[in-house]
Amino acid sequence: MRRVAIVGTGLTKWGVRNATYKELVQEAGKDLFDDVPNLDKKHVDSLFVGSALVDRLAFQAYPAPLVAEQLGLTPSRMVMRTEMACVSGQSAIRVAWASIVAGLSDVAVVVGAEKMNTPNMAETQASMACVLDREWDGVNGLNAPPYFALIAQRHMHEYGTTEEQLAEVSVKNHDYAATNPYAHYPKRVSREKVLSSAKIAPPLKLLDCSGITDGAAAVLMTHEGLAKKYTDTPVFVEGLGQAQSGSLVVNLESLTTWHPLRRAAQEAFKMAGVTIRDMDLAETHDCFTISEIMEYEDLGLCEKGQGGQFVMDGQSRIGGTLPTNLRGGLLGCGHPLGATGVAQAIEIVRQFKAQVPEDRYVGGEWGLCHNLSGNANNHALMVLRRGG
Amino acid sequence: MGEPQEWHFAFDFYPLQSPEHTRIWPFFQHLKEGRLTTTRCAKCSSLLWQPRVVCPHCNADAMEWVDLPRHGRIYAFTAVYAGAPLGLEKDVPFVVAIVELDGVPVKVVARIDEARYEDLKIGDPVTLKIVELADGRVWFRFVPTGKPSSPA
Repeated sequence: MRRVAIVGTGLTKWGVRNATYKELVQEAGKDLFDDVPNLDKKHVDSLFVGSALVDRLAFQAYPAPLVAEQLGLTPSRMVMRTEMACVSGQSAIRVAWASIVAGLSDVAVVVGAEKMNTPNMAETQASMACVLDREWDGVNGLNAPPYFALIAQRHMHEYGTTEEQLAEVSVKNHDYAATNPYAHYPKRVSREKVLSSAKIAPPLKLLDCSGITDGAAAVLMTHEGLAKKYTDTPVFVEGLGQAQSGSLVVNLESLTTWHPLRRAAQEAFKMAGVTIRDMDLAETHDCFTISEIMEYEDLGLCEKGQGGQFVMDGQSRIGGTLPTNLRGGLLGCGHPLGATGVAQAIEIVRQFKAQVPEDRYVGGEWGLCHNLSGNANNHALMVLRRGG
Repeated sequence: MGEPQEWHFAFDFYPLQSPEHTRIWPFFQHLKEGRLTTTRCAKCSSLLWQPRVVCPHCNADAMEWVDLPRHGRIYAFTAVYAGAPLGLEKDVPFVVAIVELDGVPVKVVARIDEARYEDLKIGDPVTLKIVELADGRVWFRFVPTGKPSSPA
């Protein structure tokens, strides 16, 4: 099986951007192509575009050819868009990986992009709410924040997790976002500020929630034989796992244990031949503070129900058991749906290449990316390894 | 009840309910009669939520309609204070919950009317309430059991 590497990265500034979907794509493309000066665009034979809601939020269907034109690419082998809501980005990487392994592609560009801010926030929220089953869940006003609030309430009810523990996730991730020039919210926040932030869907407050953010991210992927042409430090995709279960909120296996995460992690680590204990750093999907707490637990970093204590003890900070979300996570960077999974991988690559500020540099050899979508009924994980 | 619907189909959360649009139209007809119902597979007897036309367990396509309890208990709840979708902005804050129906292995997501977030706790009993939309469609919510508008 061909080994596949990420050999170049590109990011835009994330935030409420005065820029369209297509302009964000151009910016990410420029940053990527600047990063790989040896790339002749004619050699890019494949393009994978991860965008979740471009049809609704930018009123633009069929984005892949449009993205190709923005980037000056004419893919000759594989071109497609991947849509798995918040996992659209990692899905694009995953499909690019499979295409390269299969020999269908040799040099692939992956773009994750989302334009979330529209002139009408209620329209954006309605488009987000139809990620859930629109007719039976969304119709009741259920959307991401109230849904994850139900999870948080049950987790607090079953395990005694506290609002202070939830808040600490936001404090940590904003600490790391503070020196990330790409982040939507590059500013430290105190626990008191999180706890007193605006009520969204109790127990979740504004600073327990990731933002409505515009942004794009792009990577260049190729097989081992070509990797050194583009970089001295290829980062290899050594393991992947994905599991999905359930759609209606009431038909999920559990609110407070993410069984699909556990299954996907098992598959990814088995494929890579390592365990969570071998990871030097992780990017996990902190769409809400409760999410990161459950991820510690279901990744096996602590006992079930102890995720709150884990973050309070600093175990997910640099120097702890597993430094997590050093770019600032979704809480600090914002969450342009399709871009997030790609940006998570970029953080691992830039860590391995020491392209991040010193105060949040960990580097190392092994990194984990975890991306979830919908009502957490789909989880995708990637194990990355520094090459070179 | 009933609110004017000012948005287009692509922003309309409520299901289309008439026989020309959906094969589970009896569900909505039953709601109009004050009954919360679902389908049970006529072959393997699986109780299915939402109502289905094909059984996901045994692949049979013969279904029978069964009544669900009109009473249940709150399994989890929150209230939407901000960030409501188009069409619901005027309703904030409103309570949304997972309700465990009495005596059957079915939970449903529904709004809880006539209740403030602060007044509720997990396990509280709730009773079915039918909501009529301005265009003649219907939907279901719950209210805390014992509220004046809660039917016996």
